[in-house]
Amino acid sequence: MDRESMLRIEEFRRKEAGPLEGTLIDEFVDGGMDRSTFIRRASVLGLSMTTIGAALKAFGHAPLAQAATGAVLAGGRLRIGVVPPPAHGLDPHTYQDTGSLVTGGIAGEFLTRATQSLSLLPELATSWKPNANATIWTFKLRSGVKFQSGQAFGADDVVATYDRLTDPNSGSQALSAFKGVLSPGGTKRIDNLTVEFHLDSPTANFPYLSSSTTYQGILLPANYKIGTFEKTPQTTGAFELVAYNPGVGATYRRFAGWWGGTAPLDGVDLTYYSDDSAIIAALLGSQIDLINQINFVTGRALFNNPNVQIYNARGATHRQVPMRVDLNNPLKDRRVRTAIALSLDRPAIVKTLFDKYADVGNDSNFAPVYPSTSKPIPQRHKDLKTAKQLMTQAGHPRGFKITLTTEKTGEIPQLAQIIQRSVKALGIDMKLQILTVSAYFAGTSDGPPLGWGNTPWLNAPMNITDWGHRAVPNVVLNSAFRSKGVWNAAHYSNKKFDKLVSQFLGAIAVADQRKYEKQMQAILLHDTPVIVPYFYNFLAAGNKKVKGYRADAQGSVFLSHVSLG
Amino acid sequence: MKFTEDVISRFLLKRFALSVITLLILSVIVFAAAQLLPGDIGRNVLGPFASPHDVKMFNHQHGVDRPIATQYWDWISHFVRGDLGDSLQYNVPVAKLLGPSLVNSLKLAALAFVLVVPISLLGGIVAALRRNKLTDRVITVAGLSLTSIPEFVTAIVLIVIFGVVLKWLPVSATAPPGSGVLTQIKYLLLPSFALVAVLFGYIARITRAGVIEAVDADYTRTAFLKGLDTRHVMFRHVLRNSLLPTIAVVATQTGYLIGGLLVIEKLFNYNGIGQRIYTAATSKDFTLLQSGVLVVGIVYLTATLFADILYSLLNPRIRFGSAE
Repeated sequence: MDRESMLRIEEFRRKEAGPLEGTLIDEFVDGGMDRSTFIRRASVLGLSMTTIGAALKAFGHAPLAQAATGAVLAGGRLRIGVVPPPAHGLDPHTYQDTGSLVTGGIAGEFLTRATQSLSLLPELATSWKPNANATIWTFKLRSGVKFQSGQAFGADDVVATYDRLTDPNSGSQALSAFKGVLSPGGTKRIDNLTVEFHLDSPTANFPYLSSSTTYQGILLPANYKIGTFEKTPQTTGAFELVAYNPGVGATYRRFAGWWGGTAPLDGVDLTYYSDDSAIIAALLGSQIDLINQINFVTGRALFNNPNVQIYNARGATHRQVPMRVDLNNPLKDRRVRTAIALSLDRPAIVKTLFDKYADVGNDSNFAPVYPSTSKPIPQRHKDLKTAKQLMTQAGHPRGFKITLTTEKTGEIPQLAQIIQRSVKALGIDMKLQILTVSAYFAGTSDGPPLGWGNTPWLNAPMNITDWGHRAVPNVVLNSAFRSKGVWNAAHYSNKKFDKLVSQFLGAIAVADQRKYEKQMQAILLHDTPVIVPYFYNFLAAGNKKVKGYRADAQGSVFLSHVSLG
Repeated sequence: MKFTEDVISRFLLKRFALSVITLLILSVIVFAAAQLLPGDIGRNVLGPFASPHDVKMFNHQHGVDRPIATQYWDWISHFVRGDLGDSLQYNVPVAKLLGPSLVNSLKLAALAFVLVVPISLLGGIVAALRRNKLTDRVITVAGLSLTSIPEFVTAIVLIVIFGVVLKWLPVSATAPPGSGVLTQIKYLLLPSFALVAVLFGYIARITRAGVIEAVDADYTRTAFLKGLDTRHVMFRHVLRNSLLPTIAVVATQTGYLIGGLLVIEKLFNYNGIGQRIYTAATSKDFTLLQSGVLVVGIVYLTATLFADILYSLLNPRIRFGSAE
C-alpha cells in the first residue's frame, strides 16, 4: 500500500469530505465497489482527479489512465452529416430531438461533461460538492471563460440559464430532468464564480442532471434573447455557429477565444439528411467524413467496409412496451402480461435487429451500464410452457384479440412484427397500428379522461415507445414507472414501488441504490407493466481520416478534440 | 392580323382567369387538408412533453385557435400581398425557407428538362420514322422499362454505380456554397439522370405517336406530292403538328418536376421544395405547408399557361379561333 496516497486520502476525509464522500470511500475500501464504479461515483460527487488517483493508488488499484496526447494534425474542416434535421428552432432549452442537440452541442458547453463510461469531467464548472443530505450542491465555476459574444462567463449566466431550464412556462424540455428536483429560484449566485443549487428533494445524482446529458443545459449569457441562437454566436465552446439554414445545414468556425485552447479543426460543415440511405451513400461516396448516428438495420453496408470506422457507445437507450393495467381487457391480468413477456426470444431479437450492438433487457429501465444495477439480474427467458399455463390460469387458453399501437421510427416496426409473431404461439391475435411519429405523439398528454390526456402513446392498450439514453435511471423511473408519472403509459401504480423510487433517488451509497433497485426490479418482473426487450448501443460511423472521435450514448457530438488525419 | 391577336389575347385572358380560379380552389383545398392533418400545432412545435398551458398559449399567439374562415382569409389576403408569414416550426419567414428551395427545384427541373426533352424528342422521332423496325422496338421497350421502374430504384442504382463505386459524380446533389454553374451542374447530374429515366419513355411515346399521325396525315402526303423535299416536310409539317401533344405532356410534368420530387430530393439530399413541403406536412407547419403548395401550384399553372401560348402559336386552329 502506498503510504503517501493513504495519508492524502486520510487528509481529504478529515478536511474536505462530507458524509457523501466519506461513504463513497468507505464503500470502496470495503470492496463493495469496483474500480470503474468508484471513478464514476467519485466524479459525480466532485472529487478532484488527484484525490481519485490517490484513492486508487492507496487501495491498490491501477492508476487513472492519462489521456493520450498523441500528435494531432491541426487544421481542416470536418464534414459531418446529421440525421434527422432539427424539427424546430435552436433555443437550447427547447431541444427535444437529435438534430437540435447535435447542432447546438457542437457550439455549446455544459457545467460538466459526461463521458462514455458515465463519469463526469469538469467543463464550465471546475468542482462540485453536495451538503450532507444532497439537497444543496455547490458548484465552483471556471474563471477566464469568455462567450463568443465577448462577455465574460460567470454565476449570473448560470442562474439565468437554469432558471429558464426549470421554468414550466418557458417551453423547456429539460423539465423531464428537473421537475421535482430543481425549481426556478433554486439556483443561487454566491459570488461571481460560485453557484448553489437548492434542490426540491435530495438527489444524489444531481451532477448528472446538470451535465451534458441534460443536453438543453448549454450555458448562455444572462442577457440571452430567445430566438437569437441561430443568428449570433454566443456560446462558450470550441466552435461558433456562423451560419444556419433550417433543414439544410450549418457552418461553424473555430472560436479563437476558447478557454480550452485551440481546437484542431478549422471549422465544421454540417449537412442535414432525412434519409438513412442518402447519408450512408454520402459517407461511402466521400462527401462527408462523419455520420452522427447510424442504425444497424439500415446501415449494414458500413459494418464490413474497410474504409469505415464504427463508433459504438453502450448506453441505456431502449424501447418500452407498456401494457395498460387499467383497461377492461385481458392485459389487466398480470399473468397475461407476464405470458406475453415470456413469449419473446430476446437474444434472437437482439441478434436480428442489432447483431452484437445491444444488451438483452429484463423488463425494467435498469440498464446493465448503470452502476446502480445489481448483478447478476435474474434474466427473463423465452418460456412458452409457463406462458401458456399463465394464459390458461388467467382464463384465456385460446388467446384473445389486441391492438399494438406504435410509431414508425428506427427498428420499431420490425420489433412490432416480431412481437406479433411471438404472441401468436399463445393464440393472441395481435393487430398492428403503426403511426407516423407525429401522429403517435399527437394529442394531449395530460388531463382528462384519466390524467394522461388522449395521446396514443400514453393511452393505447399496448404500444412501443422509444426511450433515449439517460446517465442515471432517475428520469425514467419517475416518469414512466411511478404512479401518475407523466409518461406512465401502462398507467401502472404500486405504492410499495413508489416508496422504493424515492428511497433510491435519495440513496447516496451505491450499495443502497442496488438494494432498492433489486427490490424494484423484482416488483416490475412480478407485475410486468412494461416489457423492455433490449438496450441498444448508440452507433456512429466515419471515414478513416477522422481522429479522436467517440460516440456518445445520448447522441451528442463533441468535436473540440477531433482532428483530420 | 388584328383579328388573330385578338383571338389569342382573348384565349390567353380566359386561360389566365381560369388559372386564378384554379389557384383559389387549390388554396381552399390545401387549407382544408392541412386542418385534417392529425395533431395539434402547438403540441407538434413544442413537443410531446410541453405543458397543455404552453400549448394553448402557443396556439393562441399564433392565431391557430381562431375560426377556420378567419384563419383562411388572414393567410390568403397576406399571401396575395407577398407576405407568406412565419414558419411555425422554425420561427423564420416562410419566404426565406421556400425561396432557396424553389430556386433549387427550378435548377434541377431545368437541367432535367434540358436533358430529357431533346433526348426524348429524338428518340420519339427516330422510333416513328423507323416504325416497327428494330430501332423502334429498342427505343419503345427501353423507354417503357425505364418508366416503369420506380425512380427510387433508378436513383439508388445510379448512386451506387456512379457515386459509390466509380466515384465519378457526387451522390448528394447540393453543391458547396458559392459553387460555379459547372460545379452545380455536376452535382445535379445524377438526380437529373434519374428523372430522365422516368420521363424519357413517356415523352418519347407521345412524340412517336404524334409523328406517326402526322406522317400518315393527308397534308403530309400533299406536301410530298407537291414536290417538297423530306427535310422541308419534316420540319414544316410533320414536327410542327406532331409536337403539339408533346408540349402539352411536357408542360403537365412541370408540377411533378417542381413539387413532386420528394423521393429524389431525399435520396440525393437535395433541399428542394418537395422536401420542404413534406417536412412542413409532417410537423404541421401550416404556414409553410400551405404557402409551399400554393407556390408549386403557381409555378405549375404558369408553366401550363406558357405551354398554352406555345400551343396557340403553333396551332392554327387556336390562332384562328376555331378551337373554341
